[in-house]
Amino acid sequence: MRLLWSQGAEASFRPGEFFGREEELRSLLRVCLEGKSGIGASVLIYGPPNVGKSSLLLKLKSELKSLPQSTAPPCPFPFYYSFSNILSHPLALSQHFLQEYLWQLLVFLGESPPAAFDLDALCDALAARGHVECRDYLSAHLRYSEKGDGLSALANAFSFPFATGGELLYPVFLFDDFQYTIKLQNIPEGAIFSILRPYIKSGHFPMIVSGSSPGHVTSSLKREGLYGSFQLLEVGGLSPDASVAAWGPLFERRKIRIPEHLAVRAAVRLGHIPVYQRMLAEEISFRNVQIEDEVGLENLFALSVTEGKLNRYWREFFENAIPDRVARARAVKFLKRVICDRFPIDTFEGAFSLMGTSPEEGSEILSALEFKGLLKSDFEHIEFVRDPVLADFLFWAFERGVLGKNTSQVAASIVQAKISHDLQEGSGGEQDASAEIAKEMMRRWDCRDVPALLFDFGKFHDKYGDKGLLEVVIGLEGDPRKVRLPKISSVSKGHRTIRGGSRFDFDLVAYGFHDGDFSEENLVIWAVDVNTEKKLVQVAVEHFENRCRLLSLDKGLKPGQLRKWILFDGAADAAVVGLADRYGIHLTHRTQMRLFLNLFGMQELEKGAEERRPPEARAGEQPLEFELVLPMKADTEVVAARVAEEVAAYASLDKDTVDRIKMAIIEACINAFEHSGAETGKVRLRYVLSPERIELFVQDEGKGFRTSAKGDESKQNRGWGLKLISELVDEVHIETGERGTTVRMVKYLRPASDEGSPTTNGEG
Amino acid sequence: MRDLKVKTREAGEGTSVVYVNGYLNSLLGEELEQVVHDALEVGRSNVVLNFEGTRLINSIGISFIIGIVERMAERNGTLAFCSLNRINQDLLRMTGVSRYVRAFDSEEEAIAFFAQTV
Repeated sequence: MRLLWSQGAEASFRPGEFFGREEELRSLLRVCLEGKSGIGASVLIYGPPNVGKSSLLLKLKSELKSLPQSTAPPCPFPFYYSFSNILSHPLALSQHFLQEYLWQLLVFLGESPPAAFDLDALCDALAARGHVECRDYLSAHLRYSEKGDGLSALANAFSFPFATGGELLYPVFLFDDFQYTIKLQNIPEGAIFSILRPYIKSGHFPMIVSGSSPGHVTSSLKREGLYGSFQLLEVGGLSPDASVAAWGPLFERRKIRIPEHLAVRAAVRLGHIPVYQRMLAEEISFRNVQIEDEVGLENLFALSVTEGKLNRYWREFFENAIPDRVARARAVKFLKRVICDRFPIDTFEGAFSLMGTSPEEGSEILSALEFKGLLKSDFEHIEFVRDPVLADFLFWAFERGVLGKNTSQVAASIVQAKISHDLQEGSGGEQDASAEIAKEMMRRWDCRDVPALLFDFGKFHDKYGDKGLLEVVIGLEGDPRKVRLPKISSVSKGHRTIRGGSRFDFDLVAYGFHDGDFSEENLVIWAVDVNTEKKLVQVAVEHFENRCRLLSLDKGLKPGQLRKWILFDGAADAAVVGLADRYGIHLTHRTQMRLFLNLFGMQELEKGAEERRPPEARAGEQPLEFELVLPMKADTEVVAARVAEEVAAYASLDKDTVDRIKMAIIEACINAFEHSGAETGKVRLRYVLSPERIELFVQDEGKGFRTSAKGDESKQNRGWGLKLISELVDEVHIETGERGTTVRMVKYLRPASDEGSPTTNGEG
Repeated sequence: MRDLKVKTREAGEGTSVVYVNGYLNSLLGEELEQVVHDALEVGRSNVVLNFEGTRLINSIGISFIIGIVERMAERNGTLAFCSLNRINQDLLRMTGVSRYVRAFDSEEEAIAFFAQTV
């Protein structure tokens, strides 16, 4: 097998064009030199893709090579090796590794670079210089290759460098693109580290590992117990001075002249990242433009990021990183929200939710992004790179792909945003004040002494009655916050994940219109979440905020058009309250949900299922079944209630339970009478009594069940029926079919002692 | 339960006690609404609804009660409930009505409350 010499980063690296990072270089150099005395550590360099990690390694290599020869041997032999993505087969990798090592060693020893990559020839040349041990390694390599034993071949090849050198030199490993070692065929992740482990531990062989996937690499390190032996070095953009200095040779070579203040601005604009600087310089030269002012610079940048070099660069990057088109689109959309719109995401769960995927699909996308260095993750948190150029690229991809805008429109908006961006700065004082109010409000709600504030009955009818609008006060007595509720046109609740469709996952979403005017401008959307945990935590607030942003992006809402509301029962820390306030989320006690739903003619949400466990069934008893057919006439529901009472008598139920069952069946009958629109005028009831529960079936033969109040019915019962039923019994199931609607209600029968003592009362 | 009568008694300055007897559905609800309306018209701003004779209230009945709550609030009147049985208390709680209206165990307590506030 012959492998071609891959001309990688090493060939294009120009030491003279390397600027900045003096401090990093100094400490890396120290680490490398300490290998001589056996106290060398190893370093893991990580950072976003193309930020300059490889350049740093190559610069280090050239520094090591140019060390003064006066020091006593052994001297460091810098061996740069990039685990490129071409070599995913362990046999190919081990062979390439051996070739590279021998070649670089020969060059280091002063031999003129051999013309061909012939392992035998390289080995002979090295043996001629006294390094005979390489023959053993080579024959072992051939043996393993014949057997197809990739892992042994790798172990053999990677051990080889440690056997060479002796007293004269010691190898310093500069391993680049290390993340690819986890993608070797049939080789477990971290195998390379376990081969290298004893050498790393020895302290004699400094190892500088660089990669854009710190999550994977560090977890391999942890697994091998090597985490403590490595120092971590994060590489970001250059220092401002260094990046401005970096323009020098770039402009000079291309004979570009731009005013100095624009060079500074351009460096900032590019996040001080050298690779972008090179691309922008190429773009200027390619388009042969004169940059004279800020607008000119921003225009050129926008052009580059929407259709020029910067755009191509990132487009190809994403095409390589995530080959599947759908997943790629999803990843771009997701990153756009995180990096451009700054959605607060730091958990995997939040990321999946934002992507709208299942955890499996989401994990795949996240791990591809992690692998390519666009995010950092540990077991709990994830952190995304903040790269201004990437952000603009994502903006373009989103606007073009999702919203269908053309490139020049997007470029124009990028320019506009950047030109006006410099002015923005936020203020903080008001937030503190309103956070205080929110806290006080919650305290009051816990005491339940603000009912009078909830409704401004006297006024709303006069003011909004005919328009269906009203104001609710959710503030404090001293400082009430009025919230104007719009005329609600539709309400949906209990939204849960719908695959493929838009998905916002709120407990309740209400669409309404201000001033009774059903036009786009007057659209208002209420997004409501009911928090069922004991304590409202930060993650829940962030999660909610993310979904709200998603909703408002999706619907193209202006800031005031989305109202956010979290209702919760328990407590919340001041920090959480502050956070919610910052996002403009109303926090209120859960009882407010009732008010809200009542106003919208809705039923309250189901409670958590865990509260409602049926007691142990007493086996061996057959259920008793009773049936009743009611004419659809006013007050005949009382008959149904009476039968329920009699049925319950069989089970010796306590009065409270009996009353609840009666009320539930009354409400179900009323609903059947009012909403079914049945022509037969009959409602069938079935009562099924078993030891553990009583089941009630109310079946009409109508056209369907309407769950919310509409039109003239609203005056009559405002959609209370189902809401009450769900409060009164443990389970409600509604089935609508061709033959009508059946409401099935289940009440689990607990031992009488579990209930509070029933109140005796005069009979009506 | 067929006795659809709503009776009223005057209990001191501006206070009326309204006795609701029977199954509180739409028929009784309408009657009740009218009675309270009449009491307000003659200047009685405090109204106690006595539910001692009411065994069941259905959702339509609840909506009439809400209408009364609203009407009272419009007129700056004060409403109180008394002698509610447990299931009716629960219903008023479930629908949120009990958060706007004070409920007393007995008529005497309700009247005493109004006497204090006057």
